[in-house]
Amino acid sequence: MIWYNDLNDGIILSTRIRLARNIDKTPFPSRLKDKTKVREMLSDSILKSNSTLSKDFTLYELSKLSQSEKTAMTEEHLISPQMINDNEGAVLVNKDKTMSIMLMEEDHIRLQIIKGGYALDEAYDLADKVDDVMEESLTYAFDEKFGYLTACPTNAGTGMRASVMMHLPALVMTGNISRVLQSFSGMGIAVRGMYGEGTNADGALYQISNSITLGLSEQEIIEKLKVVVNKISDMEKQAREMLMNNRKDDFTDKLMRSYGILKYAVKITSQEAKTMLSEVMLAQNMGIIECNGKMTPLELMIKSAPSVIGGKDNLSPDERDKKRAELIRENL
Amino acid sequence: MDLFSELFGMLDGFDNLYSVNAMSKGSKACPVCGMTYNEFSRTGKFGCSECYKTFEGEAERVLRQIHSSSVHSGKIPSKSGAEVKAKRRLNDLRKKLKEAVANEDYETAAKLHSEIKEIEGGLK
Ligand SMILES: [Zn+2]
Repeated sequence: MIWYNDLNDGIILSTRIRLARNIDKTPFPSRLKDKTKVREMLSDSILKSNSTLSKDFTLYELSKLSQSEKTAMTEEHLISPQMINDNEGAVLVNKDKTMSIMLMEEDHIRLQIIKGGYALDEAYDLADKVDDVMEESLTYAFDEKFGYLTACPTNAGTGMRASVMMHLPALVMTGNISRVLQSFSGMGIAVRGMYGEGTNADGALYQISNSITLGLSEQEIIEKLKVVVNKISDMEKQAREMLMNNRKDDFTDKLMRSYGILKYAVKITSQEAKTMLSEVMLAQNMGIIECNGKMTPLELMIKSAPSVIGGKDNLSPDERDKKRAELIRENL
Repeated sequence: MDLFSELFGMLDGFDNLYSVNAMSKGSKACPVCGMTYNEFSRTGKFGCSECYKTFEGEAERVLRQIHSSSVHSGKIPSKSGAEVKAKRRLNDLRKKLKEAVANEDYETAAKLHSEIKEIEGGLK
């Protein structure tokens, strides 16, 4: 199941594990002249393997995808934003879109597992297995001391980036978000907004990930991340309770008004939509509203991003705002 | 990028203090991908896995700055890992061989010698 359709506690929305790998004795993509041959060898390691994985994956060459197809894949987190303008790379995606293997991104291989909800151990186990399958026919660039060697030294060692997407609207509303996120700086953990810069991310969506990849084992990195994620999650729960206990009328009124606007607006900007969808998501998680539409508020947030709404037609901002409002009205 | 400019700024200071041939170091190039030290310090990225050996000292310092460690303790790939394990065993045997020779234990030395040859053969 694609990550944004998973029902979960509404605080920890999705989990990602990414492993960076490179091939021995071969320049990294930025300095590799003939990428086609190496890329085929990499995709063969899955498609021609004896593993059942070979039938689960489909290969997409970026040069053969349209700009809007690539944009949609970026929003689904199957390829990185840098790959939108790349025509030499490729990506292997499995049927339920929980696994994607980017080829010729910054590193030869960027293997990614993405799951709905909170599933770090499960996602790592899967990444580890797929990694082993690929290694059967490939020789990785690995150093006894430095571990897996990557184009950027920030990824060397385990090559692993573990991250969790969190929805933290109550911490934002109560004005606690910066303080909470700052308290984890210096712990080898990075926090960034999914949309927009700084601590006031649109839609109150935050990505929490490890910034240290060397010197700790994969399990140690995951355990460290869990400690931080659990703490943030507890604080968000407390903030939600506090709002409900002390400011019930103002709080529910705010959420219901957002729901009303989304249900009836004719035009809506991306930022407004994200903020209100985030509030509706919160209301739904707290049992204040029941949404029975075709899409979850999170899916609508992803599908109403300007790049996706614009799609292949060159819409003006005004036309996009109309199309976005229509999409939300019909599916919320 | 800010992090890198900062890190390399610090390293440059280091070089001026300790290295007489800072110039020759800047133009030192990786034999596999051709990346020079100057390019590496400008972009903060390596061109290939061999760069880590070519610029080993610098790589180690940069890694320690970023991760507070420069020693991997995570997963070892089964194939490249087998070589790592074989190398460790080889170092071990060579040490024992030296001891055996020093103790004039030629029977053990001969055994160790053939074992070393066997592993060396497998590594080629
Ligand atoms: Zn190189």
